[in-house]
Amino acid sequence: MFDHGQPSYAEVNKDVLSTMLETGRGYWILLGSTMSVAGICFFMPWIYQLFVGIGAAGMNRNSVWGTYISNFIFWIGLSHSGTLLSAVLHITNSQWRKSIYRSAEAMTLFSLMTAALFVMVHVGRVWFVHWTFPIPNQMGLWPNFRSPLMFDVMAITTYLTASSIFIYMGSVPDFAAVRDASTGLRRRLYTIFSFGWRGTAKEWHTLGWAYTFFAVFVIPLAVSVHSIVSWDFALSIVPGLHHTIFAPYFVCGAIYSGTAGIVTVMYCLRKFLNFERYIGQEHLNNLGKLLITLSLIWSYINMLELFSTWYGGTSFELEATRFRLTGFYAPLYWEMILFCAFVPLLMLSRKIRLSWNKMLVISILINIGMLTERFIIVATSLPRKFLPDAFGFYFPNWIEISITIGSFGIFATLFLIFIKWVPAVSIYEVKETLNPLRRNG
Amino acid sequence: MAVVATFAYEDAFLAAAEKLKSSGFDDMELLSPIPLEEAQEILGLGKSPVRRFSLAGAIIGAASGFAMCVATALVFILPTGGRAIIAIPPYFVITYEMTILFGVLFTLIGFHVVSGLPAWNDKPYLEEANIDRFVVVVDSGSGEQLAQAESIIRQAGAEEIRHVEVE
Repeated sequence: MFDHGQPSYAEVNKDVLSTMLETGRGYWILLGSTMSVAGICFFMPWIYQLFVGIGAAGMNRNSVWGTYISNFIFWIGLSHSGTLLSAVLHITNSQWRKSIYRSAEAMTLFSLMTAALFVMVHVGRVWFVHWTFPIPNQMGLWPNFRSPLMFDVMAITTYLTASSIFIYMGSVPDFAAVRDASTGLRRRLYTIFSFGWRGTAKEWHTLGWAYTFFAVFVIPLAVSVHSIVSWDFALSIVPGLHHTIFAPYFVCGAIYSGTAGIVTVMYCLRKFLNFERYIGQEHLNNLGKLLITLSLIWSYINMLELFSTWYGGTSFELEATRFRLTGFYAPLYWEMILFCAFVPLLMLSRKIRLSWNKMLVISILINIGMLTERFIIVATSLPRKFLPDAFGFYFPNWIEISITIGSFGIFATLFLIFIKWVPAVSIYEVKETLNPLRRNG
Repeated sequence: MAVVATFAYEDAFLAAAEKLKSSGFDDMELLSPIPLEEAQEILGLGKSPVRRFSLAGAIIGAASGFAMCVATALVFILPTGGRAIIAIPPYFVITYEMTILFGVLFTLIGFHVVSGLPAWNDKPYLEEANIDRFVVVVDSGSGEQLAQAESIIRQAGAEEIRHVEVE
């Protein structure tokens, strides 16, 4: 598992904590850049839209959903691998999970936060967003729980809460390690964060049980979240959206893009935080195999969608599919197929699976493809439903494109803040993978 | 007064813990940088009561989730397209999410209740126990018993033994 020799227990503490406690100039420059992108590209256009109204975005009467919703799905999707993968690998007691799961879970959390921001941008009058919460409004009216949008609110709130607790509880012993290694205000803060953790057998025992239960709860939750997001579309009768395959399609796509996201994040952690010792080729190899499997499932579902449309023979569905395959957005569709169905096949080669640079490129291409997939779902269905005289067209304008770019700045900013507050690699779980400290070696 | 002993090796630490346990030191504490199943077995920590919290949370979540849907539908009756006012299939989704939400929250409460955390009061602790050392703490018993504990610990190969005042 360790490409550069096995570290000692003390070295694990030192290596991981140094990434938090020692901050170079490069970090501040990077943080400043990502914050600038978030501020200029995301928040400024959003503030403009708040003043002008939702009409400032490129959505119109036919296309009431646009890039904001496709970005929302993309970020929810990206959130899917972290916590889910971590929970599944925890239950199955996979050792290779231990170096990478903390950052993967953080990715989940920050993707979810970014996704939640898109809901606020999309609704326009964000000051009424509390109407979606399960509380009565000033007219004594409660939300309608028969609506898939309410399913969504409940699912995402639950997922955000569960993921936050999952990552926090897994970090408690490491917060104690930070506490012990620091002084002054930081020490006081981490004394609070770590709940006074001492590492007694009883504490480990209780944490082990609680953590396993969190994992057991999180796995069906993660599957339900993206199923529910798919029902936002599939429970309508719009051609191109009304498919029973949508829930597994979305869940598979979410795990797929999330796993690709993990590869990208792991590359950055290795490169910029010098975690080469802890994140090795075994991790890359396993993630590569997982990506191939997910790519094949994703491709199969895509073929199935086309087949069921053709076999069903409904004129509306056939027209929606024709437009998707040969219409204005056809280049995007085929780009998606290329990046998500064919490019990942390169990973069948072990040589490619073990190359960090090649895997980085493939993981980014997969996520470009997945971002495109979500855009196609929105842009080629709603504006062209049923009768041709009602057909419209949707193309994102500069505000939507800018906000899309800015969302990556938000995600990167949150992640950069995270790596200075929480050990990006789990100290105690990495120690568990080392040879035990025994007298006879 | 407590006896706080440090071990560099896991097997020596476990041997000391086992000997102490068989000599009647049931209240000792075992601190380690990683979870050790053997240490938990020595202390007789079996199935954790946390699981009861998880189950209770899941049941309460399911019941309250469904009740919330039904109650809110009845507060303001909104007939749409002849559909049932109390519609089971969509309410099942909310029930499912609330089951998980409450299950997670109750598990969190269970963790705090069972582990006794947060505990910021001063208890015997060595920072090395969170790095690469294994620590045994015996803090109850008469002076004679503590001397016996110290002797067991020393024979097991402790690296260092300290006497710490406890409240």
